[in-house]
Amino acid sequence: MNEIHPNIEELVDYMHGELSPERDAAVHAHLASCSSCSQMRDSEVSLTELLRAHANAEERDLPPSVIAGIRNAVARPMRPAWSPLHLLLRPAVAVGAAAAVAAIVYFGNPAWHAGPPLTRIEAAYYFDNHTALNATTPFSHEPAMPVELTSDSSAGEQPGNEPR
Amino acid sequence: MPASHTSSESPTPQQAAFLERAIEQYGKATYNFAYRLTRNEADARDLTQEAFIRIYRAWRSFKPGTSFLSWVYRIVTNLHRDELRRRKVRYQEEIPNDNQPQEFGVGGRLAVQPIEEYVEGYLSEPLAKALEELSPEQREIVLLADVEDCSYQEIGDIVGCSVGTVRSRLHRARGQLRKLVNRYMKSTS
Repeated sequence: MNEIHPNIEELVDYMHGELSPERDAAVHAHLASCSSCSQMRDSEVSLTELLRAHANAEERDLPPSVIAGIRNAVARPMRPAWSPLHLLLRPAVAVGAAAAVAAIVYFGNPAWHAGPPLTRIEAAYYFDNHTALNATTPFSHEPAMPVELTSDSSAGEQPGNEPR
Repeated sequence: MPASHTSSESPTPQQAAFLERAIEQYGKATYNFAYRLTRNEADARDLTQEAFIRIYRAWRSFKPGTSFLSWVYRIVTNLHRDELRRRKVRYQEEIPNDNQPQEFGVGGRLAVQPIEEYVEGYLSEPLAKALEELSPEQREIVLLADVEDCSYQEIGDIVGCSVGTVRSRLHRARGQLRKLVNRYMKSTS
């Protein structure tokens, strides 16, 4: 006689056929000789039977309206993958999109909104001169002139600004 | 190969036949599973319809040799979870009085067995209430294990978790169900 009583979880697994073959055989043998465990098993079995009986009592046919709904839905052509482009044609979306494009064009082109054009000089040349300037006026925070740095050596070739 | 039907092309005869066969063979089971999950007639109808539309669109992604019903249940379960997430409020409504099983279809209810009479007469309400009190995850597991008779592995595939998780959820859910049924039976007696 197997004296190891299965716990309730094991009995549930046993009922569902989810124990290993060895453990299943051991529980099976134990239930044949242990009335308290077999009572517990019966209680679990009855819960499952109640659930099934309840489900059967509630069982119903698929309503024809559901079948018709499925057929109608699949008969309608699906929206093609490019269909979001149609959204752009809607007035509310189109106005917003046009405003966004205008803003990008405007702010993306410095010539349309920037101040006086910057003088383009070579970066190495600027730093050399900036070092020299700082040596003469060390507490000045103002740049000597508005500049835009570039690594392009040809950009700095302006009259009077030739790199040394 | 995930080959959903994603364009405006007409359905192929194969695809249409696949859908019709799926509805014929699994429509009722799917609808009943959806109803047990949602406990609501209207939701079950919507869920079933949406599930079959998805099946139709993804028909090529079904792998022959695997359980079709498990695939369908997986779709239904996922749709149900998505819907619950969307609502984020109490989703269960009272089942209207006019939604009795016998009002649908020509077949009506199955032949009533003695135990079903007993359940209907004495235990139906406590059991229904207890099932409603389970969390959606617990209800899924209990229904799949005890009503649909799925293995733990199948349940894991359907709900997307490990066998160990299925096992522990099922044990908790059944323990909870037992307590709730007893409580409701005491309150009604």
